[in-house]
Amino acid sequence: MNIELSEMSEQFRQRRADLGDPGETKTKISIAGLDFFYGDVKALHGIDMKISERRVTAMIGPSGCGKSTLLRVLNRMYDLYPGQKAVGRVELDGEDILSPDVPAAALRRRVGMVFQKPTPFPMSIRDNIAYGIRLGEKVSKSELDDRIEWSLSKAALWNEVKDRLHTSATGLSGGQQQRLCIARTVAVKPDVVLLDEPTSALDPISTARIEELIDELKSEFTIVIVTHNMQQAARCSDMTGFFLLGKLIEFGETAGIFTNPKDERTQDYITGRFG
Amino acid sequence: MIRTDVVILRGANGPTEDDARWSHDWGTTIVTVETSAALPPGHLAARPLATAGHADRAEAPFRIALTAAAVLVLVLLGAIVVLLFNGGFPVLVRFGLSFFVSTDWNPVTENYGAAVMLYGTLVTSALALLIAFPTSLGIALFLTEVAPEQLRRPIGTAIQLLAAVPSIIYGMWGFFVVVPLMSAHVQPLLKAVFGPIPLIGALFSGAPAGTGILTAGLILALMIMPFITAMFVEIFSSVPPVLKEAAYGVGATTTEVFRAVTVPYGRSALVGAVMLGLGRALGETMAVTFVIGNANRIAASLYSPGASIASTIANEFPEAGPGSIKLNALLELGFSLFVISFLVLALARFLVRNRLEA
Repeated sequence: MNIELSEMSEQFRQRRADLGDPGETKTKISIAGLDFFYGDVKALHGIDMKISERRVTAMIGPSGCGKSTLLRVLNRMYDLYPGQKAVGRVELDGEDILSPDVPAAALRRRVGMVFQKPTPFPMSIRDNIAYGIRLGEKVSKSELDDRIEWSLSKAALWNEVKDRLHTSATGLSGGQQQRLCIARTVAVKPDVVLLDEPTSALDPISTARIEELIDELKSEFTIVIVTHNMQQAARCSDMTGFFLLGKLIEFGETAGIFTNPKDERTQDYITGRFG
Repeated sequence: MIRTDVVILRGANGPTEDDARWSHDWGTTIVTVETSAALPPGHLAARPLATAGHADRAEAPFRIALTAAAVLVLVLLGAIVVLLFNGGFPVLVRFGLSFFVSTDWNPVTENYGAAVMLYGTLVTSALALLIAFPTSLGIALFLTEVAPEQLRRPIGTAIQLLAAVPSIIYGMWGFFVVVPLMSAHVQPLLKAVFGPIPLIGALFSGAPAGTGILTAGLILALMIMPFITAMFVEIFSSVPPVLKEAAYGVGATTTEVFRAVTVPYGRSALVGAVMLGLGRALGETMAVTFVIGNANRIAASLYSPGASIASTIANEFPEAGPGSIKLNALLELGFSLFVISFLVLALARFLVRNRLEA
């Protein structure tokens, strides 16, 4: 079983590797001139940003700065709510995802999302993972079992739940639930994983585990994380974007942003002078 | 404001070295707050508590009044149970448990049985649920998930208005509008479609008179549908949006989100709502009396006239003299209805409570 799993993981890595040398920074998502509206209120102003493949990109900024809004554009989650509108160009591997020709469900299978609060479905642990897989693919039972084990292992949860896969997911602890949500997202094999403040509802130990996990996942996935915790951004991201009042103030290598910010406002924010 | 996981409040000395290391490790930001000036002297001085006692004395009559109001409910319930049980007891003495399986209802020979009414009540209520449940589910899902904002309010209000229409209105409307429609169009159509099928065909055999079990079930369905729908809407709106987003997030469509998240999340509450609707259908009197046909017989066909417990009591009560065995039989019918409704409601409460605890 373990051999199969590592094989699957290897194949997956291979598939990724075919896309380009991990050392290079290939652009996965390219955002150009993006404006976003909640009804008449403009929440994002002309965002330009290139998100690199298999890197962790962090978005930081004070509450209401638009970073979560941007995240919800990347998988078109805003589509669910009438009155919300994105204008501009967002390309995933060169394809404009804002185009009405792109079905939202198909997009969301390639751009998965983990939310601020754990969101286990009201079903068993196993079904939580199986649900997403079965939605888009026809898989045999053994394939499904392998994939469930693979994704739960990826999320560092397998050992804790392997004996209780058929129990309700709502019985897990908060940290376990969040890792289950990560496993569920990873299970559908997306290209991009969006994390919307994934640790803000968790205790420090669970937070540390999720951060380790992010570090591991970036070998296979492009990760975009929104966080209010600047140490978290500094610890686990490669690139950081600082947002303020719906504008992208500064975007660059995380080390550069935190040690030598070019914009005074970035400097003020990361040193805690305002916020 | 910077959002922090932990805010540490310290005196004017500022954070200690430990604080700084801890905050770095866990990524919190330290906010230092000067402690305020000392509280004015005397704030801790003793004040006799006895002088504050006047409020407690005013509490007593209020408490007694509230308790009395609550006890009244129990007394009322007890009084009803006692009346029905005592009133019906002579019937049990005379006919034994065969009262519940006998289809006799003969005032001349003074032989009474409840089987026809029990059958009529249960079958019409079951039919009502069969029709009302899927319809309510559809309307509620439409209202909470699909309907454009401008439609939600008018349809929601219309449903609440429908739920408030008195049952006798439904009865008259059923008799003058639905019965002719059933007789002229619906029943012949159903007969043509299902008639040739063995077993099921028998349900739709017989003269399409318009009145009967099927029509009673339909009217009941129309009556409980707004009630169930209103509760379903409440339940669906209580599903956390982020849970639905999570399902959309793995590529589910609206239909798939209903099935996987919205409905399972509220499952037991939904069952509870249905049971409450069933409770209403079981006891409904006027509308059913108008359209059920009021005949003391059980037939396979849903077109045949029948009787429900409530309709029988309403029809026969004026002719039941004081002290007659017929009156006892009607009271015993009432007692059976009470027990059935009680069981259904108890089940509903049980299911709803289970969900709240989960």
